[in-house]
Parts: sequence; C-alpha cells; structure tokens
Amino acid sequence: MYDRARPFAARVRWAKKETRDTSTFALWIEDEAIRRQYTFSPGQFNMLSVPGIGEAAISISSGPEDGPLLHTIRVAGDVTSAISGICASNIVGMRGPFGRGWPMQEVEGKSLIVIAGGLGMAPLRPVVRRLLKSGMGHGTDERPVLIYGARSPRDILFRHEFQTFGRLFDVHITVDKADPHEHWKGRTGLIPPILEEISLHGPGTIAFLCGPEVMMRCMINELLLRGLPAEQIFLSLERNMNCAMGTCGHCMFGPKFVCKDGPVFRYSEVRQFMAVQEI
Amino acid sequence: MAIKGTLKKARLEDLLAVLGKSHRIIGPKAEGGAVVMEEIGYKDIPSGVRDLQWPGGCRLLPGKDSQVFSFSPGPDSFKRFLHPPASELFAFKRNGAKIDFLPAPKIAERPMAFFTVRPCDLSALKLYDKIFLGGPVADQAYESLRRGSLVVALNCLYPGDNCFCLSMGTGPEARDGFDIQMTELEDSFLLEEGSAKGAEILEQLSLGQAGADEISAKRRRIESCKAAFKKSIAAHELPGIIYANLGHPHWDDIARRDLECGNCTQVCPTCFCSTSYDYAALGGIAAGGAVSGKRFRKWDSCFSRSFARVHSGNFRLSRKARYRHWMAHKLAYTQAQFGLSGCVGCGRCITWCPAGIDITAELEALRHV
Repeated sequence: MYDRARPFAARVRWAKKETRDTSTFALWIEDEAIRRQYTFSPGQFNMLSVPGIGEAAISISSGPEDGPLLHTIRVAGDVTSAISGICASNIVGMRGPFGRGWPMQEVEGKSLIVIAGGLGMAPLRPVVRRLLKSGMGHGTDERPVLIYGARSPRDILFRHEFQTFGRLFDVHITVDKADPHEHWKGRTGLIPPILEEISLHGPGTIAFLCGPEVMMRCMINELLLRGLPAEQIFLSLERNMNCAMGTCGHCMFGPKFVCKDGPVFRYSEVRQFMAVQEI
Repeated sequence: MAIKGTLKKARLEDLLAVLGKSHRIIGPKAEGGAVVMEEIGYKDIPSGVRDLQWPGGCRLLPGKDSQVFSFSPGPDSFKRFLHPPASELFAFKRNGAKIDFLPAPKIAERPMAFFTVRPCDLSALKLYDKIFLGGPVADQAYESLRRGSLVVALNCLYPGDNCFCLSMGTGPEARDGFDIQMTELEDSFLLEEGSAKGAEILEQLSLGQAGADEISAKRRRIESCKAAFKKSIAAHELPGIIYANLGHPHWDDIARRDLECGNCTQVCPTCFCSTSYDYAALGGIAAGGAVSGKRFRKWDSCFSRSFARVHSGNFRLSRKARYRHWMAHKLAYTQAQFGLSGCVGCGRCITWCPAGIDITAELEALRHV
C-alpha cells in the first residue's frame, strides 16, 4: 500500500466553474502504481495540498465508477483559494482516500431520501452517480428522493445534471432566495416544507444528509418525527481534518474522530453529542 | 525464570554504562528549578534532590536525602522524545512542471533508553503505542523513534503531593510495558527483567542475589508509598460522570479561572494533538535548491483558539468549551477511542497550571455541585 502520510502528485486535468465561488477539478494521479491501487467509496475524502500553502480535506464528488476523479471546491480559506488559482496541467498533492463513506449496502431494499444543503451536494453526488450506474430499483417500488437546497439560483451546484439525476430520483430543488432578475421559476424557501410533501415509509426509509449543521439538525428532527429510526439516518459532518489518520486531534466530535470514524455517521452514534453546544 | 538481582547504589553508574553502549540515555536532570528529562550521563542524576509540588507550583529542595530518587515526575516525559514538539513530515521539490514529495530523512541517531520511567508514564506510553502504532497505518516518525528504544521503569516510593496514580490504577508500582524495572532499597537497587532485551542488559551486570528479604523490602516500600497518597480521583465513576455532565454549570466556573495557556496539554504525557504547517524555502525554487520547502508537524493544544476552526466558524469558540473538551478527552473520550484512560494520574497538569486548576477537584465539583 502506498504512503498515506506523504502526498502523491495529482495533475489537474481540467477545472470547471460551477458557481461564483465553487469549481470542480478533475485530478489525475501521476504515479501509475498508485493510480491502479486507488479506490474509494462514495462519501470518502482526500487531503489536497498546495505545497507551501497547506492542506485541506476535500470530499470526492465523482462516483467510484466514473472516469475522472472529481473534487468540488468552494473558495473558503488559504488552501482552497490557492487551489482555485491552479489551472489545468498543474500539480497538487493528494493523500487518501480517507474516512468512512455512505453505507451503500444499507440502501438495498429501502426507500432512499437524500438531503443536501449548499456544498453538501458534493459528497452526495457520488451516491447519486453510483445508483444511476447500478440502475438500481433497490427492491422497493418507491423512487428515491433527492432534496437540494441552495442559497440562490446561481449557487446551485451541478445545475445541468439534475435532469439526469431525475431519471432515477424524484428531484426537489429549492433556493433560500432569488433575485427577480434571476428569473427563477423553481421553489423558494427552506427544505422542511418539501419534506412535508413527501410520503415517507418510516422504518422502510433510509436518509443521507449533508449540509450546514443547523440544517441537518432541523431535518433530522423532522425525519424522527416522521417515524424514521435514528439508526437509519446518516449524516456527513464537517470538522477541520488535519492529519486524516486520527492522530492530530483536530477533527474530534466528542470521542469521535470525524476523519476516521466518519465523516459519515449513523445518527444514533452521535445524537448524544449533537445535543451539546460546542462539543 | 526471570532475571532478578540487586545492584549496589555505588554501582548505579555500571547500569548506565551498559545502557549507554547501545542507547542514548534519556533520564532525569535538575535544570531551571525542576527535574526535566534530557540525554544524560550518570553525573546528571539529581541524586537526593527532593521536590515540592502544589497546584500551580514546584520547588526543588537541594536534598541530603539518602535516597537517590526522592523526586516526583517533572514536567517532561518520554513524550518530548518520541513525539517531538516539531518534526519534519516530508519535503517537496518543484521540478519544472513536476512536484516531488520526498520522505523525511531517517533518524540516524542511536535508539533511546528511557531511564527511570514512572509507572504513570508506562501507562501513557502504552496509550501512545496504541495511538501511533495501533491504527490502520503506523505513524512512521513515531515508529522509527520507538523501535529499538528501551524502557527502564522506576517504582515510585514517595507520591508527590499532586500524584493520584493509585486511584487511577496506574501506579505506584510498574506492572508491564518495561524492559527492566528498578526499585530503590536501603543500599541497593532491585532490578527485574521485563523483556528479553532487558534480560540481555541485566546479564551484563554482575548482580547480587535477590532473596526473600529484598522482595519483601520492595513490597513494604511500595505499600508505604500507597499509604502516603494525598490525592485521589473518582476513577470508578469514569467515564459516565463526564458524559452525564457535559452541560453542567461548573464548566463556566472553571472557565473563569482558566487562562487557556495550554500548559496542561504540554506537560500531559498522553496529550498527543498536533498540527501541520508548510515551511517554504524562499531560495529553494529559484536557486534550484535541494527542496522548495517542507511540511512540519508541531504540537498543538485544544486550548488554542484556532484548534477547531473551519472556514465557516469555530466549533469551540468559548473557553468553557475548550476546557471541557480537554478534560472530557482525558477522562472519557480516550477510553472510547483507544480502550485506555487518557488520564494516568501523574498530576502534572495540576502542578504546571499557573492558575492551579486541579483536575481531581474539578471532577469532584462535577459530582457534587
């Protein structure tokens, strides 16, 4: 197995602007031996470095079966700013993949509901891509549901792909607000009202959530009220991963290391800590 | 049959000479008003020195004690040597359009022998091995320093005023995790092997017979040490008492005294948190130097304001949350993470807290207030 502590070189094949502050980068692992060994599952992340600047945890936004290895990055801090300035054919450092992803095997035989907020769509895109690829009916008559909330129409990620996602999923998109000049014809408002319109089958449903913590807390409460067991709600948490191997302590959430025990957690594993402020 | 024997106190130098043949000896030395750990020779051992420790302070009393080891653990432990405060992770070198990531150079120095590791620190070392070697990928820097190292344990015969290893179940007697264990008797040391490596060392010393007298003298001394403890912690209620009180108002009270200096995390033998940073060599790129820069890892502290910061905010902005995180990590979380207690009862965080915050007293307050 290749070294997990030392980055390997990854070349930017192409970069695509998604929104005003977010772009998707297709990376190509330079070393052939590593490229062949490299596999990941939906929900895992890589540590990307810009030498001299630093390193940041970035979730993989492509499906494991897709060709290019994609990372969808919002300009937020030093590292993401530096990456956003990198153009095609340049090199970044990569370590990974790290973490525990979405429990794809548990989707089998259940109705899936995927809830994403903002950049939270990035680590959930591999789930959608995987399911589109496997053409799953996953043993129920229900179509899986995808609810996505963005700040405004121009903040919608992967905007041209939802039509494809709609081949399998019931897609519901909403924006917090839309300026009149944006000519937004879709929904405006928060996610919870959408959930109210959807019929859920309590114990037969499994939910994957990723987005701002306040959104996830709110949606989890709704899902619990609608009869979903805490064991069937999964959420991806954000913390400041630094070593990604559970030895630096930065990403601790209560006793959990988000980098290696997560970033995807079963709600029942973390509910006692979600209730504590500043845990 | 395990090797066991006595070494006259006047011949302690012989033990160091044998250890020193193959190892750098890391042991106690009086420096700057405290007993610290350094690479030492026989003459550095602060023989007869006693220390006074209280919440927020420590004084050395230049003693005339007949005992060699009359002091309690100082601020240092093996931690500074096996998990250095700053170390290189890798170097990067820009090479035209390519960037190479080069492994940190191997440490060429001789392996270390940790001389007089106290039982509390043996437990901390066991935890460190789990953290850095027990995961899916071993930490290479730690592994290269730990491999080949030797541990000479010293049973404690006097508890320091801030020691509470007895109630933590980690001392004052060494049980495992050492190559040799030492007990100071009236005019000799009782040496016992703990591993094959330790036996090899002991075989090179012509030890005196250790009979029933010596064994019972050891027992007596350890028992009298146990009777002298002044501090204890409600270990039997851990970790439940922490989990049940994460919302307790007492955390606000601690936050009013806490200076968030991070001293406790520096002296704690189980605190392991670190952060990485890049050091760019300005001349490296233009001059075609050997490297364009390096990434280092340095100790970090959960008391630092930036510790839990992400782009969108800070998960532990309040002082109260940061203190609670530290104490909960020590007394509850580490158990869940690695199956061992994150507190070993050494009392260092009490002595070296400038505000004199006492973890045992704070736990009592959580239990009763």
